[in-house]
Amino acid sequence: MGLSRREFIKRTAALTAASYVGIDLPFSNEQEAHASDADSWHKGTCRLCGSGCRLELGVKNGKAVALRGITKSRTNMGYLCMKGMLFYKLMGNNHPERLKKPLYRARKDQPFKEISWDEALDIAAKEFAKAVKQYGNDSVAYYGSGQALTEETYIFQKVMRGGLKTNNVEGNPRLCMASAVGGYITSFGADEPIGSYTNFERASCFFIIGSNTAEAHPVLFRRIMRRKLDNKDTVKVINADPRVSPTSRIADLHLQFNPGTDLALLNAMAYVIVEENLYDEDFLKNYAVFRMGKEKKQVDFAKYKSFVKDYSPEKAARICGGNITPEKIRQAARWFAKSEGTMSIWTMGINQRKRGVWANNLIHNLHILTGQLCKPGADSFSLTGQPNACGGVREGGGLCHILPAHRLVKKDKLRHEVERLWGIPEGRIPPKPGYHTVAMFEAVNQGKIKAIWINCTSPAQSLPNCDKYRKGMRREDVFMVVTDIFPTKTTELANLILPTAFIFEKTGVYGCTERRSQLTAKAVDAPGEAKPEVWIVREWALRLAKELNDPVIKKCVEPFLGKEPDYELPKAIWDEYTQKLTKGRDNDLRGATYDVLKKLPDGVQWPAPTKEWALKGGTDIKFVRGLDPLADKHAKNDLPYQFYGPAHPDKKLWIWLRPQKGPAEMPDSEYPFYLSTGRVIDHWHTASMTGRIKELMRANPYAYVEINPKDAEKLGIKPGDMVEVVSRRGRNVLPAKIYVGPCEGMVFVYWHDQAEDRMINRVTKDAFDPGSKEPEFKICACRIKKVSGPRPLKPFLVQMKA
Amino acid sequence: MPVGGFVINVDPDRIEESIKKLTSFRGVEIHGSDEKGNVIAVFESSNSHEMEEMVKEIMKIETVLSVGLTYFNAEDEVEGNANQG
Repeated sequence: MGLSRREFIKRTAALTAASYVGIDLPFSNEQEAHASDADSWHKGTCRLCGSGCRLELGVKNGKAVALRGITKSRTNMGYLCMKGMLFYKLMGNNHPERLKKPLYRARKDQPFKEISWDEALDIAAKEFAKAVKQYGNDSVAYYGSGQALTEETYIFQKVMRGGLKTNNVEGNPRLCMASAVGGYITSFGADEPIGSYTNFERASCFFIIGSNTAEAHPVLFRRIMRRKLDNKDTVKVINADPRVSPTSRIADLHLQFNPGTDLALLNAMAYVIVEENLYDEDFLKNYAVFRMGKEKKQVDFAKYKSFVKDYSPEKAARICGGNITPEKIRQAARWFAKSEGTMSIWTMGINQRKRGVWANNLIHNLHILTGQLCKPGADSFSLTGQPNACGGVREGGGLCHILPAHRLVKKDKLRHEVERLWGIPEGRIPPKPGYHTVAMFEAVNQGKIKAIWINCTSPAQSLPNCDKYRKGMRREDVFMVVTDIFPTKTTELANLILPTAFIFEKTGVYGCTERRSQLTAKAVDAPGEAKPEVWIVREWALRLAKELNDPVIKKCVEPFLGKEPDYELPKAIWDEYTQKLTKGRDNDLRGATYDVLKKLPDGVQWPAPTKEWALKGGTDIKFVRGLDPLADKHAKNDLPYQFYGPAHPDKKLWIWLRPQKGPAEMPDSEYPFYLSTGRVIDHWHTASMTGRIKELMRANPYAYVEINPKDAEKLGIKPGDMVEVVSRRGRNVLPAKIYVGPCEGMVFVYWHDQAEDRMINRVTKDAFDPGSKEPEFKICACRIKKVSGPRPLKPFLVQMKA
Repeated sequence: MPVGGFVINVDPDRIEESIKKLTSFRGVEIHGSDEKGNVIAVFESSNSHEMEEMVKEIMKIETVLSVGLTYFNAEDEVEGNANQG
């Protein structure tokens, strides 16, 4: 052959890329080259958003050295973004700042000391036991993450609920997904989307609202973009957002409204659909009812019609402001209703709101009215932000009001069922849900929670109005354990820091946006003494059982004793969860065993009650007879769609009468601007990982405040000037980016920056949705002022002080 | 010396012009394209920071719509400097 090794690698790169789009290249030594550039390849899932992109990690001499997308994966078709390309740099010994030893300090004003795992687990057990004995079971809490593996969330919540008898089990998905959960349950009777990413290639109209898909989900956006480009004239893209973002580039129509007015916009689209008879009468007759109010009162179509009468496009355009005209609303509604398949997509712009559930309901309303559901390309599809918010937290029982497999804590029958499946005494799990996130940290503030375990997340930075909650976390009478891979704003407030294994350093399952569970098995060793969380929880629980002299705590981890922690232990936990807990539930995962998951390039979409079904990939579209085994099983009549969701006894879709409601805080003379926050493509959440990848940090070393050029001109602010952003809660000073992004009267700040001056959650508001309890990160009032010209700035990340 | 394999999506009406611009970048090899505007490119750079910069620069080309990574090899970088973040 005469090819150098470097040429081999380059050919491999070219061939891999070409294979995705079916282009033939003049050389074809793919297999030979693939075999030669790593010792072994390991299938897994990307860690850095909720898309669930599948990739293979190339390992050479025990080190992560290469990545390639998996072409056969139905999530990403092999494509990766820059974050996905670079996160190998955080694995194993590739990064010097990884936490490698347990660290402890009795008081938070002391420096940390390295201790052994034995000492660390003893301390954690003693402190939790002390709190339980002195202050009761609800004085302890677990705060987890949509980035923890399902096995981790499951075992944590099992020990907290079955062992420590408290429902104080929460997680950061409360901050991003809770309103979507509320919306799906109240509109469709069942959590999580009906369809799948496959609709990207089948939709004729995309309605993207409150999502900067291009930056937050770049690989999925690529599929939407491809669909649009391949069908320029027939596929329409509507982007509705107060901010023009990279997502708007491919839009045929951009609806720019003032923050918090989208409920009026969505009701006005419904007005047009009703007025112009664009609704699907048969679909409504067969599958839908109309409801209103807290008591969920059923009303008729006439009542709904008279309700939407109040949202004429003319009136809505006045409420919405921005660039909204009655004609644009009519156009959007017509495209939405008339297309052969309309797919709505949203993320935090809809969810992180005082009326997030209602906003979700109003999107679902449009789909129910027009019958844009269950058929190819038609879906009301909430995108997830974290890799395992759906699989681990929504499905695994990671929030204070839910038990594994979509069971409500407050339902006696379901609670007792879980107790029976766990083999623990009836009545062990308390009937009252625990504290939701904001209430949990409020309870920390008030000293009601005495010991809290924070796993794989950084609430000190990610909570809204975070200064208020950092005060509580600083209390010396609140014992705080933090498990993580790097120092964060939250480890700064801990008593005990436990170093954990990163993805590919341990084994477990992530469940992404489209109900898909995917396995990542261990491929490289964790650095130092970092351990998988499942081992940590098991060992902690055994010590707790001794401290509290309570055999039921031991019973919770008994099935997992003696298992080696890298594979056998998570497998045993997954088996218990899927085979026992999901049996007969709507997220039935019994077919998705580790062995089945390993056989597939991507994973399995639930419902997947049998291995045979799981090996086919599971269920692409829920509720459709012939496509969803549970739709056949639960069928009540001959209709093709069966909405068997557990939350709607009438097995119907519910169209809700929800009025326009503004945000909790509106701009006024003192604080005249709207403040909104979001992400930038290079960074993810609190940047504890992406900030430690030099390439990503250099690309966006600090947060900016984006200001509309017209506002900047009025205030005499020039690019790079340092600008103060002040709310009733806190203050930031950030460099200005003058940009036709946010609408006039609104500023936008990226939220990843850890520098105190640029940590925007010190400014945001902690108002929350009364239904979902999800905070309104997306809207509050602020004022801005230039404080100086451009200043040299340094990127900042929390470092471990020795 | 990392090597990346990319599918670059360009405006299907301006493929030739796009390829011409892409080939003017040092370290970019074009291996093929189709009528849909998919362009197969291999990037070679002295470190992964430089590759990230190349992607950013290429994204600035008006006719480029997306740059999709499909393969990445950084073994020299990992072997040579295990502790670089």
